[in-house]
Amino acid sequence: MKQLLQGNYAVAEAVRLARVQVVAAYPITPQTPIYEKLSDMELEGKLTGVMMRTESEHSAMAACIAASLTGVRTFTATASQGLALMHEMLHFASGNRVPIVMCNVNRVVAVPWAFGSDQSDSLSQRDTGWMQFYCEDAQEALDTVIQAYKIAEQSLFPVIVAIDGFFTSHFMEPIEIPDQATVDAFLPPFSIPTRFNIEDPAFISNVVSPEQYMAYRERSFADMEKTRPIIREANREYQEIVGRGYDAVQAVDTEGAEIVLVTSGAMTSTARVAIESLRAKGYKAGLLKIKAFRPFPTEEVQEALKNVPKVAVLDRNISLGKEGIFCHELKSALYPLERRPTVTGYIAGICGADVSPEMIEDMVIEALKQDKPTDLPVWVRRETWLQKR
Amino acid sequence: MIEIKFFGRGGQGAVIASQILAKVFFVMGKYPQCFSVFGGERRGAPVASFLRVDDKKILLKCEITAPDEMIYLAPDLVDEKEIQSVLKPGGLILINNALTDNDFRALRKFRLALVDALAIAEEMGMGATINTAILGAYAKASKAVPMDLLEQVIKETVPAKVSANVAAAKRAYELTELFY
Repeated sequence: MKQLLQGNYAVAEAVRLARVQVVAAYPITPQTPIYEKLSDMELEGKLTGVMMRTESEHSAMAACIAASLTGVRTFTATASQGLALMHEMLHFASGNRVPIVMCNVNRVVAVPWAFGSDQSDSLSQRDTGWMQFYCEDAQEALDTVIQAYKIAEQSLFPVIVAIDGFFTSHFMEPIEIPDQATVDAFLPPFSIPTRFNIEDPAFISNVVSPEQYMAYRERSFADMEKTRPIIREANREYQEIVGRGYDAVQAVDTEGAEIVLVTSGAMTSTARVAIESLRAKGYKAGLLKIKAFRPFPTEEVQEALKNVPKVAVLDRNISLGKEGIFCHELKSALYPLERRPTVTGYIAGICGADVSPEMIEDMVIEALKQDKPTDLPVWVRRETWLQKR
Repeated sequence: MIEIKFFGRGGQGAVIASQILAKVFFVMGKYPQCFSVFGGERRGAPVASFLRVDDKKILLKCEITAPDEMIYLAPDLVDEKEIQSVLKPGGLILINNALTDNDFRALRKFRLALVDALAIAEEMGMGATINTAILGAYAKASKAVPMDLLEQVIKETVPAKVSANVAAAKRAYELTELFY
């Protein structure tokens, strides 16, 4: 059924359809409508599980970990400072291999204090051992949350589904909501071994020797590598049953392109308009959307860009002292190639600053003129862009 | 695609007005995309809300900088210079002209529509909540949405004073003056 919904509500619908048994969360802008909608659903008896209204995000994650260990399907949602406060527990979740699914609504991290979209909050959780999927719009967010349960439960790794604050979380658009029977056909009931018996309490997260610790990390690393076919297969099955799907990367018109624009999240959607306009003007421009950030889709990125002479990367995040984080990761993935493209990094849309198709077109045209790779990113703000014009 | 911008003050219902209109277009089978300026919501503060409507999926995730239609719930927010520089030629301007002597003569090169939405809302016992009156005026001025469908969506959407809201939309439809 099609409904006119904001993205936050689409995520709540996905949580309902996944028959989540425990939701533990704390409200924070711009995620709060997910929390509110799930509360409404609980009150109306539409939610399979229960809501735990914890006193902080740190506690919300601790509750999800414990609940998951007792053998139930869990969900939490957060953003920005909330995710930062969870940080310690994120390591506990992946270390204990609990398949929690979390929606992070990307928002800047203070200071200054602000509310706009920025991927820095979730990208700075890169090394916590969580899978991370970045969604282009609310429909993809709904579909990805449902897929994430299957991926998490088959691989025993937790998943962050990241959506852009405001552009995805608050834009109201028509959303196709699958019916319960369809989702049930894709997502079986939660059944992983129960590792915690509440009748017989025990302790986890023991102290180990350096050899034991390193062996555990090595095995976790190998297990994360094994998630790649699981992610592919979950999407293939979802596509078959529900009729929509999203690969770890999506390449549009990259074949024979003289330049490819690499994007993630909601800016991808605007970039599609820019690339179409450039092609109409005769530019051989393509688009590469990166959805999976962890595990990073190295092979898919290499395959899409191996014959492309120039690449522009659009980042809605910044790592001070280096560059945009997707650009950094992309360059590292391209290193083994014999003929590497010239990569130019652009920083735009920080804190949800406006990025129009015309701004993106100009970035691509400028990157096309670059003959040498540059270390530092180019910052593009509407004000300075207008002056340059 | 048409791009519509709503300007109001917190409490007038500009955000809800844009959402009701989005729903009307949705029921008509169109693809609406509706959003508001985010942050500092409080009564009396300027509020802007945005609506894009197309026949196919809208990919733009950015601001509306050159609208086709501008709707002012708060006449004191009307900036004639700004309108002349951003509104597309032949564009529609709908203004709630309550409590102002301005006849907006300079804006008549566009399609200008005026309605005293505050008088209508007060007559219906709704105080300063003028959003359903402004939507009735929009139906008249734009001819883009049928009045019976607007009434139906108002009935389904407003949380209270349902018949007053419907009556306000109908009265505004009758009283809106078109200068084109």
